[in-house]
Amino acid sequence: MDRFIRMLEDRVMPVAGRIAEQRHLQAIRDGIILSMPLLIIGSLFLIVGFLPIPGYNEWMAKWFGEHWLDKLLYPVGATFDIMALVVSFGVAYRLAEKYKVDALSAGAISLAAFLLATPYQVPFTPEGAKETIMVSGGIPVQWVGSKGLFVAMILAIVSTEIYRKIIQKNIVIKLPDGVPPAVARSFVALIPGAAVLVVVWVARLILEMTPFESFHNIVSVLLNKPLSVLGGSVFGAIVAVLLVQLLWSTGLHGAAIVGGVMGPIWLSLMDENRMVFQQNPNAELPNVITQQFFDLWIYIGGSGATLALALTMMLRARSRQLKSLGRLAIAPGIFNINEPITFGMPIVMNPLLIIPFILVPVVLVVVSYAAMATGLVAKPSGVAVPWTTPIVISGYLATGGKISGSILQIVNFFIAFAIYYPFFSIWDRQKAAEEQADPTISSGAGATHSL
Amino acid sequence: MNILLICAAGMSTSLLVTKMQEAAKERGMEATIWAVSADEAKDHFDRADVVLIGPQIRYKFAALKKEGEARGIPVDVINPADYGRVNGAGVLDFALRLKK
Repeated sequence: MDRFIRMLEDRVMPVAGRIAEQRHLQAIRDGIILSMPLLIIGSLFLIVGFLPIPGYNEWMAKWFGEHWLDKLLYPVGATFDIMALVVSFGVAYRLAEKYKVDALSAGAISLAAFLLATPYQVPFTPEGAKETIMVSGGIPVQWVGSKGLFVAMILAIVSTEIYRKIIQKNIVIKLPDGVPPAVARSFVALIPGAAVLVVVWVARLILEMTPFESFHNIVSVLLNKPLSVLGGSVFGAIVAVLLVQLLWSTGLHGAAIVGGVMGPIWLSLMDENRMVFQQNPNAELPNVITQQFFDLWIYIGGSGATLALALTMMLRARSRQLKSLGRLAIAPGIFNINEPITFGMPIVMNPLLIIPFILVPVVLVVVSYAAMATGLVAKPSGVAVPWTTPIVISGYLATGGKISGSILQIVNFFIAFAIYYPFFSIWDRQKAAEEQADPTISSGAGATHSL
Repeated sequence: MNILLICAAGMSTSLLVTKMQEAAKERGMEATIWAVSADEAKDHFDRADVVLIGPQIRYKFAALKKEGEARGIPVDVINPADYGRVNGAGVLDFALRLKK
């Protein structure tokens, strides 16, 4: 077991550190975060629009007219449907920041590059007609939402790389001193901005001559589909969870590191569900594995599903250290924050407790996936519930108001309890024995064991 | 004394902030202690005298230390045991030792 710990330290940590520090992945992760508050706000309107109360629709229609739902969902369109635009700007901004070049200009140029790669064609079915025709002159909502995420991210990185290389080579228009800096800055962005747009423009002209026709088609064939299949499968989910837990076992923030790679995939899978749900809240949703699947059903109490462990510690611990740790950890645990447990118990670098810590989330993935895929439990509806929302509430909201979502969370809580309990008992007995042998170990200090 | 704490989302460190403020108050110390996420960290460096980072993001230590060195601010990783126990007094002592 000690060899296993050493292996984790020697092999997993350096690789994880490099991935987490990789600047493009970092920019993607930080850029996507920019869209999260918007998605949560949009979700509030989504929840209100589909409250599962009998007679709710009729009641709302009576008070607010028969188009009440369309009007209520305006903010959903302005948040979910512009995800790629926000990410396009955000990723370029964060990347430029890392290169210490003007981030605002880089963001604006990236946004223009993304729109330049997007054909301004909107599908339209005239009244009475059977076939849909393409009308030009509109920005297609289809591509500036989650479906355009990958094009937005790729172009944000390419355009910012071109931008910063030209700036760093100092091929810019310089204005004489005395010109206000804000004016001078906009001239600095002229040459690199033009270079980016010309590159994307030429690439688009060439693409239009191929069967792919546009950036979006190429990316959805080559990237979107294979990645979604991989990221949306139960196998992919188990691998992701294993990685998160292994990283946390060495004390590194696994979710932040793995999320940098998997986040965009889980986000677009989530939005696929949202689009179907919005059409018909009772329809069969396409995906189980989404961002919410992990945040709300697997990581109950934080990575490793430690809420059950915190409660056990508070109620059952015989050792003073663990009892006081349980009391300390329960409040943050309810909001899915568990660093007091991972570092305080500790689970990190602890050969005994790492076993259930890795095992529990894997079991929960299998159970939750099976429950949702067979239709026993409702799938996540695409509503973006913040990961800090306590269970029962979060399961209800994230399934679009289905009680089965809450029930599965409670079941998962007890599964976690059952797996943690024997390991907890061993550790507790060990701690209690240490305290008896050495009465100076107080509840607040000490506990340097295996750190 | 301005102490900046950094972690992934600025959440678990904010638990520690409360405990450190209590500890500072008990000693009658004048201290401003606050927590931010790793993404926002850079914008806060200029107001800090000491920067402490959560052990779960110690892979960012090298980059953050460089930021600190450029401004002459000590940067270090919080001891995992103190972090887990939310040992406000201990971490406050650590910050004071670093500042010296």
